[in-house]
Amino acid sequence: MTDSALPSKAPAAAQSDDSEGMSFLESLPRRVVTLYLPLFVILVVLLFPFYWMALTSIKPDEQLIDMDRYNPFWVVHPTFKHISKLLFETQYPRWLWNTMYVAVGATTLSIIASVLAAYAIVRLRFRGAEAVGVLIFFAYLVPPSILFISQLSLILVYPTLLIPFSTWLLMGYFKTIPYELEECALIDGASRWQILVKIVIPLAVPGLISAFIFSFTLCWNEFIYALTFLQSTPNKTVPVAIVNEFVDGDIYKWGSLMAGALVGSLPLVILYAFFVEHYVSAMTGAVKE
Amino acid sequence: MSTVQTSMPVPAAVADTPSLWMRLRTNRNWIALWFMLPAAAFLILFLAYPLFLGVWMSFTDERIGRTGVFVGLENYQWLWDDSIFWLAVFNTLLYTIVASAIKFAVGLYLALLLNRHMPFKALIRSVVLIPFIVPTVLSAIAFWWIYDAQFSIISWSLIRLGVIDHNMARGSVIFANIWRGVPFVAITLLAGLQTVSPSLYEAATLDGATNWQRFRFITYPLLTPIIAVVMTFSVLFTFTDFQLVWALTRGGPVNATHLMATLSYQRGIISGRLGEGAAIATAMIPFLAAAIAISWFGMQRRKWQQGSNND
Repeated sequence: MTDSALPSKAPAAAQSDDSEGMSFLESLPRRVVTLYLPLFVILVVLLFPFYWMALTSIKPDEQLIDMDRYNPFWVVHPTFKHISKLLFETQYPRWLWNTMYVAVGATTLSIIASVLAAYAIVRLRFRGAEAVGVLIFFAYLVPPSILFISQLSLILVYPTLLIPFSTWLLMGYFKTIPYELEECALIDGASRWQILVKIVIPLAVPGLISAFIFSFTLCWNEFIYALTFLQSTPNKTVPVAIVNEFVDGDIYKWGSLMAGALVGSLPLVILYAFFVEHYVSAMTGAVKE
Repeated sequence: MSTVQTSMPVPAAVADTPSLWMRLRTNRNWIALWFMLPAAAFLILFLAYPLFLGVWMSFTDERIGRTGVFVGLENYQWLWDDSIFWLAVFNTLLYTIVASAIKFAVGLYLALLLNRHMPFKALIRSVVLIPFIVPTVLSAIAFWWIYDAQFSIISWSLIRLGVIDHNMARGSVIFANIWRGVPFVAITLLAGLQTVSPSLYEAATLDGATNWQRFRFITYPLLTPIIAVVMTFSVLFTFTDFQLVWALTRGGPVNATHLMATLSYQRGIISGRLGEGAAIATAMIPFLAAAIAISWFGMQRRKWQQGSNND
Protein backbone atom coordinates (compact mmCIF):
# COMPACT_ATOMS: atom_id res chain seq x y z
CA MET A 1 0.00 0.00 0.00
CA THR A 2 2.57 2.52 1.11
CA ASP A 3 5.57 0.85 -0.28
CA SER A 4 8.32 2.77 -1.93
CA ALA A 5 7.51 5.46 -4.40
CA LEU A 6 6.94 5.53 -8.11
CA PRO A 7 10.03 4.68 -10.10
CA SER A 8 10.47 8.21 -11.25
CA LYS A 9 13.67 10.13 -10.82
CA ALA A 10 16.99 10.63 -9.08
CA PRO A 11 18.60 7.26 -9.49
CA ALA A 12 21.89 9.15 -9.38
CA ALA A 13 21.62 9.54 -5.63
CA ALA A 14 21.71 5.80 -5.29
CA GLN A 15 25.45 5.47 -5.23
CA SER A 16 26.07 7.82 -2.36
CA ASP A 17 23.58 7.00 0.39
CA ASP A 18 23.31 3.81 2.37
CA SER A 19 19.63 3.16 1.76
CA GLU A 20 18.44 -0.40 1.37
CA GLY A 21 16.75 -1.95 -1.63
CA MET A 22 14.57 0.36 -3.63
CA SER A 23 14.19 3.10 -1.07
CA PHE A 24 16.47 5.35 -3.12
CA LEU A 25 13.53 5.79 -5.45
CA GLU A 26 11.75 7.84 -2.83
CA SER A 27 12.06 11.55 -2.29
CA LEU A 28 12.18 12.98 1.20
CA PRO A 29 8.85 14.89 1.11
CA ARG A 30 7.16 11.76 -0.09
CA ARG A 31 8.62 9.76 2.76
CA VAL A 32 7.41 12.34 5.22
CA VAL A 33 3.84 12.08 3.94
CA THR A 34 3.66 8.31 3.45
CA LEU A 35 5.84 7.13 6.31
CA TYR A 36 6.73 9.51 9.11
CA LEU A 37 3.41 11.31 9.39
CA PRO A 38 1.15 8.23 9.68
CA LEU A 39 3.68 6.53 11.92
CA PHE A 40 3.80 9.56 14.16
CA VAL A 41 0.00 9.73 14.42
CA ILE A 42 -0.30 6.04 15.26
CA LEU A 43 2.49 6.22 17.81
CA VAL A 44 0.91 9.20 19.54
CA VAL A 45 -2.43 7.39 19.81
CA LEU A 46 -0.76 4.21 21.04
CA LEU A 47 1.39 5.93 23.61
CA PHE A 48 -0.99 8.55 24.91
CA PRO A 49 -2.60 6.40 27.65
CA PHE A 50 0.85 5.44 28.80
CA TYR A 51 1.89 9.06 28.97
CA TRP A 52 -1.30 9.80 30.82
CA MET A 53 -0.54 7.03 33.30
CA ALA A 54 2.94 8.33 33.95
CA LEU A 55 1.69 11.89 34.24
CA THR A 56 -1.06 11.02 36.70
CA SER A 57 1.27 9.10 38.92
CA ILE A 58 3.50 12.10 39.51
CA LYS A 59 0.77 14.73 39.79
CA PRO A 60 -0.10 16.21 43.15
CA ASP A 61 -3.67 15.48 44.18
CA GLU A 62 -5.06 18.97 43.74
CA GLN A 63 -3.89 19.13 40.13
CA LEU A 64 -5.57 15.82 39.35
CA ILE A 65 -9.11 17.09 39.63
CA ASP A 66 -8.79 20.78 38.99
CA MET A 67 -8.88 21.15 35.25
CA ASP A 68 -9.63 24.84 35.14
CA ARG A 69 -6.54 26.15 36.81
CA TYR A 70 -4.08 23.49 35.69
CA ASN A 71 -3.61 22.19 32.20
CA PRO A 72 -4.40 18.46 32.47
CA PHE A 73 -1.84 17.58 29.82
CA TRP A 74 1.06 18.79 31.86
CA VAL A 75 2.24 18.72 35.45
CA VAL A 76 3.41 21.76 37.37
CA HIS A 77 5.05 20.50 40.55
CA PRO A 78 5.75 16.80 40.08
CA THR A 79 5.72 14.70 43.21
CA PHE A 80 6.84 11.20 44.05
CA LYS A 81 4.30 10.99 46.86
CA HIS A 82 2.11 8.41 45.13
CA ILE A 83 4.99 6.16 44.24
CA SER A 84 6.64 6.29 47.65
CA LYS A 85 3.28 5.72 49.31
CA LEU A 86 2.75 2.75 47.04
CA LEU A 87 6.09 1.19 47.79
CA PHE A 88 6.34 1.84 51.50
CA GLU A 89 2.80 2.06 52.86
CA THR A 90 1.01 -0.70 50.98
CA GLN A 91 1.74 -4.32 50.31
CA TYR A 92 2.75 -3.47 46.78
CA PRO A 93 6.23 -5.06 46.90
CA ARG A 94 4.53 -8.21 48.08
CA TRP A 95 2.08 -8.15 45.16
CA LEU A 96 4.91 -7.54 42.77
CA TRP A 97 6.72 -10.52 44.21
CA ASN A 98 3.58 -12.68 43.93
CA THR A 99 3.12 -11.76 40.31
CA MET A 100 6.74 -12.43 39.53
CA TYR A 101 6.60 -15.76 41.34
CA VAL A 102 3.49 -16.93 39.53
CA ALA A 103 4.67 -15.67 36.14
CA VAL A 104 8.13 -17.20 36.35
CA GLY A 105 6.80 -20.50 37.70
CA ALA A 106 4.04 -20.90 35.17
CA THR A 107 6.24 -19.79 32.29
CA THR A 108 9.04 -22.18 33.16
CA LEU A 109 6.66 -25.10 33.48
CA SER A 110 4.97 -24.38 30.19
CA ILE A 111 8.20 -23.77 28.29
CA ILE A 112 9.55 -27.14 29.40
CA ALA A 113 6.33 -28.88 28.41
CA SER A 114 6.18 -27.01 25.09
CA VAL A 115 9.78 -27.71 24.12
CA LEU A 116 9.24 -31.42 24.62
CA ALA A 117 5.90 -31.42 22.84
CA ALA A 118 7.08 -29.28 19.93
CA TYR A 119 10.17 -31.43 19.43
CA ALA A 120 8.10 -34.59 19.46
CA ILE A 121 5.60 -33.20 16.96
CA VAL A 122 8.13 -31.72 14.57
CA ARG A 123 11.04 -34.14 14.68
CA LEU A 124 9.93 -37.48 16.05
CA ARG A 125 7.08 -37.65 13.55
CA PHE A 126 5.21 -40.21 15.54
CA ARG A 127 1.88 -41.61 14.46
CA GLY A 128 -0.72 -38.87 14.49
CA ALA A 129 1.84 -36.12 15.06
CA GLU A 130 0.07 -33.84 12.65
CA ALA A 131 -3.28 -34.44 14.29
CA VAL A 132 -1.80 -33.64 17.67
CA GLY A 133 -0.31 -30.44 16.30
CA VAL A 134 -3.79 -29.38 15.24
CA LEU A 135 -5.45 -30.59 18.44
CA ILE A 136 -3.17 -28.45 20.56
CA PHE A 137 -4.50 -25.45 18.76
CA PHE A 138 -8.00 -26.48 19.75
CA ALA A 139 -7.18 -25.74 23.37
CA TYR A 140 -8.14 -22.17 22.57
CA LEU A 141 -11.68 -23.34 21.94
CA VAL A 142 -12.26 -23.46 25.65
CA PRO A 143 -13.67 -20.16 26.87
CA PRO A 144 -11.57 -19.02 29.85
CA SER A 145 -14.69 -18.09 31.75
CA ILE A 146 -15.77 -21.71 31.96
CA LEU A 147 -12.74 -22.55 34.05
CA PHE A 148 -13.52 -20.45 37.10
CA ILE A 149 -15.00 -23.29 38.93
CA SER A 150 -11.91 -25.33 39.50
CA GLN A 151 -10.03 -23.90 42.45
CA LEU A 152 -6.48 -24.63 41.39
CA SER A 153 -3.23 -22.96 41.95
CA LEU A 154 -2.50 -20.29 39.34
CA ILE A 155 0.86 -21.80 38.50
CA LEU A 156 -0.95 -24.90 37.34
CA VAL A 157 -3.76 -23.14 35.46
CA TYR A 158 -1.74 -20.63 33.46
CA PRO A 159 0.20 -23.26 31.49
CA THR A 160 -3.06 -24.29 29.84
CA LEU A 161 -3.12 -20.84 28.26
CA LEU A 162 0.56 -20.79 27.47
CA ILE A 163 1.39 -24.27 26.24
CA PRO A 164 -0.58 -24.16 22.97
CA PHE A 165 0.92 -20.90 21.78
CA SER A 166 4.47 -21.72 22.91
CA THR A 167 4.27 -25.12 21.28
CA TRP A 168 3.09 -23.61 18.04
CA LEU A 169 5.85 -21.00 18.08
CA LEU A 170 8.56 -23.53 18.91
CA MET A 171 7.29 -25.96 16.28
CA GLY A 172 7.88 -23.32 13.67
CA TYR A 173 11.29 -22.57 15.05
CA PHE A 174 12.43 -26.17 15.31
CA LYS A 175 11.52 -26.71 11.68
CA THR A 176 14.16 -24.17 10.67
CA ILE A 177 16.94 -26.18 12.32
CA PRO A 178 18.60 -28.37 9.68
CA TYR A 179 17.72 -32.01 10.02
CA GLU A 180 21.26 -33.01 9.00
CA LEU A 181 22.66 -31.91 12.35
CA GLU A 182 20.40 -34.36 14.12
CA GLU A 183 21.24 -37.12 11.68
CA CYS A 184 24.94 -36.65 12.36
CA ALA A 185 24.30 -36.86 16.07
CA LEU A 186 22.18 -39.98 15.62
CA ILE A 187 24.96 -41.63 13.66
CA ASP A 188 27.39 -40.73 16.42
CA GLY A 189 25.14 -42.58 18.82
CA ALA A 190 23.37 -39.73 20.58
CA SER A 191 20.02 -40.46 22.13
CA ARG A 192 17.00 -38.34 21.34
CA TRP A 193 17.29 -36.67 24.69
CA GLN A 194 20.92 -35.76 24.09
CA ILE A 195 20.02 -34.38 20.67
CA LEU A 196 17.33 -32.22 22.19
CA VAL A 197 19.46 -30.89 25.03
CA LYS A 198 22.79 -30.51 23.24
CA ILE A 199 21.80 -29.58 19.70
CA VAL A 200 18.24 -28.41 19.28
CA ILE A 201 17.83 -26.29 22.40
CA PRO A 202 21.08 -24.32 22.02
CA LEU A 203 20.15 -23.56 18.42
CA ALA A 204 16.63 -22.56 19.33
CA VAL A 205 17.53 -19.99 21.99
CA PRO A 206 15.94 -17.03 20.14
CA GLY A 207 12.73 -19.02 19.77
CA LEU A 208 12.82 -19.96 23.44
CA ILE A 209 13.36 -16.35 24.42
CA SER A 210 10.36 -15.16 22.50
CA ALA A 211 8.16 -17.97 23.77
CA PHE A 212 9.31 -17.01 27.24
CA ILE A 213 8.52 -13.35 26.70
CA PHE A 214 5.09 -14.07 25.29
CA SER A 215 4.20 -16.44 28.11
CA PHE A 216 5.56 -14.12 30.74
CA THR A 217 3.51 -11.23 29.38
CA LEU A 218 0.37 -13.30 29.37
CA CYS A 219 0.92 -14.41 32.98
CA TRP A 220 1.81 -10.95 34.12
CA ASN A 221 -1.34 -9.50 32.63
CA GLU A 222 -3.73 -12.25 33.49
CA PHE A 223 -6.71 -11.05 35.43
CA ILE A 224 -9.73 -13.30 35.33
CA TYR A 225 -8.34 -16.39 37.04
CA ALA A 226 -6.41 -14.31 39.52
CA LEU A 227 -9.57 -12.34 40.30
CA THR A 228 -11.54 -15.50 40.91
CA PHE A 229 -8.96 -17.54 42.72
CA LEU A 230 -7.09 -15.10 44.92
CA GLN A 231 -9.10 -13.89 47.86
CA SER A 232 -6.68 -12.77 50.56
CA THR A 233 -4.88 -9.46 50.09
CA PRO A 234 -1.28 -10.59 50.67
CA ASN A 235 -1.57 -13.27 47.99
CA LYS A 236 -2.90 -11.08 45.21
CA THR A 237 -1.11 -10.37 41.97
CA VAL A 238 -0.52 -6.82 40.83
CA PRO A 239 -3.46 -6.35 38.42
CA VAL A 240 -6.04 -7.71 40.84
CA ALA A 241 -4.60 -6.04 43.90
CA ILE A 242 -4.48 -2.62 42.31
CA VAL A 243 -8.07 -2.75 41.15
CA ASN A 244 -9.33 -4.07 44.48
CA GLU A 245 -7.27 -2.08 46.91
CA PHE A 246 -7.20 1.35 45.35
CA VAL A 247 -10.83 1.51 44.31
CA ASP A 248 -12.91 2.20 47.35
CA GLY A 249 -16.55 2.08 46.34
CA ASP A 250 -16.90 5.09 44.09
CA ILE A 251 -13.66 6.70 45.12
CA TYR A 252 -10.73 6.05 42.86
CA LYS A 253 -7.33 6.89 44.19
CA TRP A 254 -6.11 7.86 40.77
CA GLY A 255 -2.61 8.77 41.79
CA SER A 256 -1.98 5.43 43.47
CA LEU A 257 -3.78 3.50 40.74
CA MET A 258 -1.69 4.99 38.00
CA ALA A 259 1.53 4.74 39.98
CA GLY A 260 0.77 1.08 40.62
CA ALA A 261 0.00 0.48 36.97
CA LEU A 262 3.20 2.21 35.91
CA VAL A 263 5.49 0.39 38.32
CA GLY A 264 3.73 -2.90 37.52
CA SER A 265 4.43 -2.46 33.81
CA LEU A 266 8.08 -1.55 34.14
CA PRO A 267 9.53 -5.08 34.40
CA LEU A 268 7.88 -6.02 31.11
CA VAL A 269 8.93 -2.83 29.38
CA ILE A 270 12.53 -3.52 30.33
CA LEU A 271 12.22 -7.12 29.19
CA TYR A 272 10.84 -6.08 25.81
CA ALA A 273 13.36 -3.32 25.31
CA PHE A 274 16.09 -5.95 25.35
CA PHE A 275 14.42 -8.72 23.46
CA VAL A 276 12.06 -7.26 20.87
CA GLU A 277 14.33 -8.17 17.99
CA HIS A 278 14.43 -11.78 19.17
CA TYR A 279 10.69 -11.73 19.36
CA VAL A 280 10.31 -10.57 15.79
CA SER A 281 12.91 -12.97 14.46
CA ALA A 282 11.38 -15.94 16.26
CA MET A 283 7.96 -15.07 14.92
CA THR A 284 9.56 -15.03 11.50
CA GLY A 285 10.83 -18.54 12.10
CA ALA A 286 7.45 -19.69 13.29
CA VAL A 287 5.79 -18.12 10.32
CA LYS A 288 7.75 -19.35 7.39
CA GLU A 289 7.90 -22.93 8.65
CA MET B 1 -7.11 -31.90 24.81
CA SER B 2 -4.25 -33.41 23.01
CA THR B 3 -4.46 -37.09 23.32
CA VAL B 4 -1.56 -39.07 22.04
CA GLN B 5 -2.19 -42.24 20.15
CA THR B 6 0.83 -44.38 20.43
CA SER B 7 -0.72 -47.75 20.99
CA MET B 8 0.49 -49.81 18.06
CA PRO B 9 4.24 -50.23 18.15
CA VAL B 10 5.81 -50.10 14.75
CA PRO B 11 7.54 -53.41 13.92
CA ALA B 12 11.18 -52.78 14.60
CA ALA B 13 13.29 -53.32 11.52
CA VAL B 14 16.28 -54.53 13.45
CA ALA B 15 17.75 -57.90 12.57
CA ASP B 16 17.89 -59.67 15.92
CA THR B 17 14.84 -59.15 18.11
CA PRO B 18 15.74 -56.55 20.74
CA SER B 19 14.59 -56.62 24.32
CA LEU B 20 11.41 -54.84 25.34
CA TRP B 21 13.42 -52.13 27.06
CA MET B 22 15.44 -51.52 23.91
CA ARG B 23 12.25 -51.34 21.88
CA LEU B 24 10.77 -48.84 24.31
CA ARG B 25 13.89 -46.74 24.12
CA THR B 26 14.25 -46.64 20.38
CA ASN B 27 10.70 -46.80 19.08
CA ARG B 28 9.85 -43.29 18.11
CA ASN B 29 6.21 -43.63 19.01
CA TRP B 30 7.13 -44.49 22.56
CA ILE B 31 9.71 -41.74 22.82
CA ALA B 32 7.15 -39.33 21.47
CA LEU B 33 4.73 -40.44 24.15
CA TRP B 34 7.20 -39.49 26.87
CA PHE B 35 7.96 -36.20 25.18
CA MET B 36 4.30 -35.34 24.83
CA LEU B 37 3.40 -36.39 28.35
CA PRO B 38 3.97 -33.12 30.28
CA ALA B 39 2.04 -30.97 27.83
CA ALA B 40 -0.72 -33.52 27.47
CA ALA B 41 -1.01 -33.97 31.22
CA PHE B 42 -1.36 -30.24 31.79
CA LEU B 43 -3.91 -29.78 29.08
CA ILE B 44 -5.99 -32.78 30.05
CA LEU B 45 -5.91 -32.18 33.81
CA PHE B 46 -6.37 -28.44 33.82
CA LEU B 47 -8.22 -27.79 30.60
CA ALA B 48 -10.16 -30.81 29.42
CA TYR B 49 -11.31 -31.82 32.89
CA PRO B 50 -12.53 -28.36 33.98
CA LEU B 51 -14.15 -27.99 30.58
CA PHE B 52 -16.01 -31.22 31.09
CA LEU B 53 -16.95 -30.10 34.59
CA GLY B 54 -18.17 -26.75 33.30
CA VAL B 55 -20.29 -28.27 30.57
CA TRP B 56 -21.77 -30.70 33.06
CA MET B 57 -22.47 -27.85 35.47
CA SER B 58 -24.44 -26.05 32.78
CA PHE B 59 -26.98 -28.88 32.95
CA THR B 60 -27.43 -28.52 36.71
CA ASP B 61 -28.80 -25.82 38.96
CA GLU B 62 -25.67 -25.61 41.04
CA ARG B 63 -25.08 -22.53 43.15
CA ILE B 64 -22.08 -21.49 45.18
CA GLY B 65 -22.04 -23.53 48.35
CA ARG B 66 -24.61 -26.06 47.21
CA THR B 67 -24.24 -28.93 44.78
CA GLY B 68 -26.83 -28.95 42.05
CA VAL B 69 -29.12 -31.54 40.60
CA PHE B 70 -29.42 -32.36 36.94
CA VAL B 71 -32.01 -30.13 35.32
CA GLY B 72 -31.42 -30.93 31.66
CA LEU B 73 -31.69 -28.01 29.29
CA GLU B 74 -33.49 -25.74 31.74
CA ASN B 75 -30.61 -23.27 31.98
CA TYR B 76 -30.50 -22.99 28.22
CA GLN B 77 -34.27 -22.50 28.02
CA TRP B 78 -33.94 -19.68 30.50
CA LEU B 79 -31.21 -18.13 28.42
CA TRP B 80 -33.21 -18.50 25.23
CA ASP B 81 -35.95 -16.27 26.69
CA ASP B 82 -33.52 -13.91 28.33
CA SER B 83 -33.20 -10.64 26.44
CA ILE B 84 -30.06 -9.69 28.35
CA PHE B 85 -28.35 -12.85 27.13
CA TRP B 86 -29.22 -12.03 23.52
CA LEU B 87 -28.01 -8.50 24.05
CA ALA B 88 -24.72 -9.97 25.31
CA VAL B 89 -24.49 -12.22 22.24
CA PHE B 90 -25.11 -9.24 19.99
CA ASN B 91 -22.53 -7.17 21.86
CA THR B 92 -19.96 -9.92 21.70
CA LEU B 93 -20.39 -10.38 17.96
CA LEU B 94 -20.33 -6.64 17.33
CA TYR B 95 -17.30 -6.24 19.58
CA THR B 96 -15.41 -9.10 17.96
CA ILE B 97 -16.20 -8.22 14.35
CA VAL B 98 -15.64 -4.48 14.56
CA ALA B 99 -12.57 -4.69 16.79
CA SER B 100 -10.93 -7.50 14.81
CA ALA B 101 -11.54 -5.83 11.46
CA ILE B 102 -10.09 -2.52 12.57
CA LYS B 103 -7.21 -4.20 14.40
CA PHE B 104 -6.38 -6.04 11.21
CA ALA B 105 -6.54 -2.97 9.01
CA VAL B 106 -4.55 -0.71 11.33
CA GLY B 107 -2.16 -3.50 12.27
CA LEU B 108 -1.39 -4.31 8.66
CA TYR B 109 -0.89 -0.66 7.83
CA LEU B 110 1.41 -0.22 10.81
CA ALA B 111 3.35 -3.35 9.91
CA LEU B 112 3.90 -2.04 6.37
CA LEU B 113 5.13 1.24 7.81
CA LEU B 114 7.45 -0.46 10.29
CA ASN B 115 8.85 -2.71 7.61
CA ARG B 116 10.34 0.25 5.81
CA HIS B 117 13.81 1.51 6.27
CA MET B 118 14.07 4.35 8.76
CA PRO B 119 16.26 5.64 11.54
CA PHE B 120 15.73 4.23 15.07
CA LYS B 121 13.89 1.22 13.64
CA ALA B 122 14.49 -1.07 16.62
CA LEU B 123 13.51 1.60 19.11
CA ILE B 124 10.26 2.39 17.31
CA ARG B 125 9.39 -1.27 17.08
CA SER B 126 9.79 -1.82 20.79
CA VAL B 127 7.85 1.34 21.57
CA VAL B 128 4.95 0.10 19.44
CA LEU B 129 4.65 -2.96 21.66
CA ILE B 130 4.05 -0.97 24.83
CA PRO B 131 0.23 -1.14 24.78
CA PHE B 132 0.53 -4.91 24.47
CA ILE B 133 2.77 -5.30 27.49
CA VAL B 134 1.05 -2.99 29.93
CA PRO B 135 -1.31 -5.23 31.90
CA THR B 136 -4.75 -5.01 30.29
CA VAL B 137 -6.56 -4.15 33.45
CA LEU B 138 -4.19 -1.35 34.23
CA SER B 139 -4.49 0.13 30.78
CA ALA B 140 -8.25 -0.24 31.10
CA ILE B 141 -8.05 1.85 34.24
CA ALA B 142 -6.06 4.45 32.38
CA PHE B 143 -8.79 4.52 29.75
CA TRP B 144 -11.41 4.77 32.44
CA TRP B 145 -9.70 7.81 33.81
CA ILE B 146 -9.56 9.20 30.30
CA TYR B 147 -13.23 8.49 29.64
CA ASP B 148 -14.38 9.44 33.13
CA ALA B 149 -17.39 11.68 32.76
CA GLN B 150 -16.54 14.08 35.51
CA PHE B 151 -12.83 14.72 35.26
CA SER B 152 -12.24 13.38 31.81
CA ILE B 153 -9.77 15.04 29.52
CA ILE B 154 -12.02 14.11 26.64
CA SER B 155 -14.89 16.04 28.10
CA TRP B 156 -12.42 18.69 29.12
CA SER B 157 -11.25 18.95 25.53
CA LEU B 158 -14.65 18.68 23.87
CA ILE B 159 -16.62 20.40 26.67
CA ARG B 160 -19.27 17.75 27.11
CA LEU B 161 -20.43 16.45 23.76
CA GLY B 162 -23.45 14.98 25.49
CA VAL B 163 -24.41 12.39 28.04
CA ILE B 164 -22.62 9.09 27.58
CA ASP B 165 -25.15 6.89 25.83
CA HIS B 166 -25.04 3.21 24.97
CA ASN B 167 -23.27 3.48 21.68
CA MET B 168 -20.66 5.74 23.11
CA ALA B 169 -19.99 3.23 25.87
CA ARG B 170 -19.68 0.45 23.30
CA GLY B 171 -17.47 2.61 21.15
CA SER B 172 -15.17 3.36 24.06
CA VAL B 173 -14.78 -0.28 24.95
CA ILE B 174 -14.11 -1.24 21.34
CA PHE B 175 -11.59 1.54 20.97
CA ALA B 176 -9.72 0.41 24.07
CA ASN B 177 -9.62 -3.13 22.73
CA ILE B 178 -8.30 -1.97 19.37
CA TRP B 179 -5.69 0.17 21.05
CA ARG B 180 -4.47 -2.83 22.94
CA GLY B 181 -4.64 -5.33 20.10
CA VAL B 182 -2.99 -3.39 17.27
CA PRO B 183 0.63 -3.86 18.46
CA PHE B 184 0.37 -7.63 18.58
CA VAL B 185 -1.15 -7.80 15.09
CA ALA B 186 1.39 -5.33 13.74
CA ILE B 187 4.48 -7.02 15.17
CA THR B 188 3.35 -10.47 14.08
CA LEU B 189 2.56 -9.28 10.56
CA LEU B 190 5.88 -7.45 10.52
CA ALA B 191 7.57 -10.76 11.19
CA GLY B 192 5.69 -12.18 8.20
CA LEU B 193 6.65 -9.24 6.00
CA GLN B 194 10.31 -9.80 6.70
CA THR B 195 10.14 -13.20 5.08
CA VAL B 196 9.05 -11.68 1.77
CA SER B 197 12.06 -11.39 -0.48
CA PRO B 198 12.79 -7.83 -1.69
CA SER B 199 13.77 -9.18 -5.10
CA LEU B 200 10.10 -9.91 -5.78
CA TYR B 201 9.30 -6.23 -5.38
CA GLU B 202 12.24 -5.24 -7.55
CA ALA B 203 11.12 -7.60 -10.30
CA ALA B 204 7.56 -6.30 -10.09
CA THR B 205 8.75 -2.71 -10.21
CA LEU B 206 10.78 -3.42 -13.32
CA ASP B 207 7.65 -4.89 -14.86
CA GLY B 208 5.88 -1.62 -14.10
CA ALA B 209 3.65 -2.68 -11.22
CA THR B 210 2.03 0.06 -9.19
CA ASN B 211 2.18 0.25 -5.40
CA TRP B 212 -1.26 -1.23 -5.10
CA GLN B 213 -0.46 -4.06 -7.51
CA ARG B 214 2.68 -4.90 -5.59
CA PHE B 215 0.70 -5.07 -2.39
CA ARG B 216 -2.18 -7.01 -3.91
CA PHE B 217 -0.19 -9.58 -5.88
CA ILE B 218 2.98 -10.00 -3.82
CA THR B 219 2.57 -8.89 -0.22
CA TYR B 220 -0.95 -10.08 0.37
CA PRO B 221 -0.68 -13.62 -1.06
CA LEU B 222 2.61 -14.28 0.71
CA LEU B 223 1.19 -12.94 3.92
CA THR B 224 -2.00 -15.01 3.86
CA PRO B 225 -0.79 -17.76 6.21
CA ILE B 226 0.38 -15.42 8.93
CA ILE B 227 -2.78 -13.37 8.50
CA ALA B 228 -4.80 -16.52 9.13
CA VAL B 229 -2.84 -17.28 12.30
CA VAL B 230 -2.84 -13.80 13.72
CA MET B 231 -6.49 -13.19 12.97
CA THR B 232 -7.45 -16.48 14.62
CA PHE B 233 -5.66 -15.45 17.77
CA SER B 234 -7.08 -11.97 17.57
CA VAL B 235 -10.65 -13.20 17.09
CA LEU B 236 -10.37 -15.81 19.82
CA PHE B 237 -8.91 -13.43 22.36
CA THR B 238 -11.39 -10.69 21.48
CA PHE B 239 -14.32 -13.04 21.66
CA THR B 240 -13.39 -14.36 25.08
CA ASP B 241 -12.31 -10.97 26.34
CA PHE B 242 -13.27 -10.31 29.89
CA GLN B 243 -10.84 -8.12 31.69
CA LEU B 244 -11.09 -5.01 29.59
CA VAL B 245 -14.86 -4.77 29.76
CA TRP B 246 -14.97 -5.80 33.39
CA ALA B 247 -12.47 -3.18 34.45
CA LEU B 248 -13.93 -0.50 32.21
CA THR B 249 -17.71 -0.75 32.54
CA ARG B 250 -18.63 -3.97 34.39
CA GLY B 251 -21.16 -4.49 31.60
CA GLY B 252 -22.97 -1.21 32.17
CA PRO B 253 -24.60 1.15 31.49
CA VAL B 254 -27.79 -0.92 31.66
CA ASN B 255 -26.06 -4.02 30.26
CA ALA B 256 -25.13 -2.13 27.09
CA THR B 257 -21.57 -3.45 27.07
CA HIS B 258 -22.06 -6.89 28.59
CA LEU B 259 -20.16 -9.53 26.68
CA MET B 260 -20.87 -13.23 27.07
CA ALA B 261 -17.79 -13.65 29.24
CA THR B 262 -18.69 -10.83 31.61
CA LEU B 263 -22.32 -11.91 31.78
CA SER B 264 -21.20 -15.42 32.61
CA TYR B 265 -18.94 -14.13 35.36
CA GLN B 266 -21.67 -11.92 36.76
CA ARG B 267 -24.28 -14.66 36.81
CA GLY B 268 -21.92 -17.43 37.83
CA ILE B 269 -19.60 -15.95 40.41
CA ILE B 270 -21.15 -12.70 41.59
CA SER B 271 -24.77 -13.88 41.79
CA GLY B 272 -23.63 -17.39 42.64
CA ARG B 273 -25.74 -19.19 40.02
CA LEU B 274 -22.91 -21.37 38.78
CA GLY B 275 -25.12 -23.47 36.51
CA GLU B 276 -26.39 -20.48 34.57
CA GLY B 277 -22.93 -18.95 34.30
CA ALA B 278 -21.56 -22.23 32.99
CA ALA B 279 -24.36 -22.41 30.44
CA ILE B 280 -23.44 -18.98 29.07
CA ALA B 281 -19.79 -19.96 28.88
CA THR B 282 -20.70 -23.19 27.11
CA ALA B 283 -22.75 -21.24 24.59
CA MET B 284 -19.52 -19.52 23.51
CA ILE B 285 -17.94 -22.76 22.34
CA PRO B 286 -19.79 -23.04 18.98
CA PHE B 287 -18.70 -19.52 18.03
CA LEU B 288 -15.08 -20.27 18.91
CA ALA B 289 -15.25 -23.51 16.96
CA ALA B 290 -16.49 -21.60 13.92
CA ALA B 291 -13.61 -19.13 14.23
CA ILE B 292 -11.04 -21.93 14.46
CA ALA B 293 -12.60 -23.77 11.53
CA ILE B 294 -12.40 -20.70 9.30
CA SER B 295 -8.77 -20.07 10.11
CA TRP B 296 -7.93 -23.75 9.76
CA PHE B 297 -9.23 -23.73 6.20
CA GLY B 298 -7.32 -20.52 5.64
CA MET B 299 -4.10 -22.28 6.59
CA GLN B 300 -4.98 -25.41 4.63
CA ARG B 301 -5.30 -23.49 1.41
CA ARG B 302 -1.86 -22.13 1.84
CA LYS B 303 -0.27 -25.55 2.01
CA TRP B 304 -1.28 -26.52 -1.48
CA GLN B 305 -0.49 -23.06 -2.72
CA GLN B 306 3.10 -23.76 -1.92
CA GLY B 307 2.86 -27.35 -3.01
CA SER B 308 4.54 -28.33 0.21
CA ASN B 309 4.12 -31.68 1.86
CA ASN B 310 3.05 -32.36 5.40
CA ASP B 311 6.38 -31.64 6.95
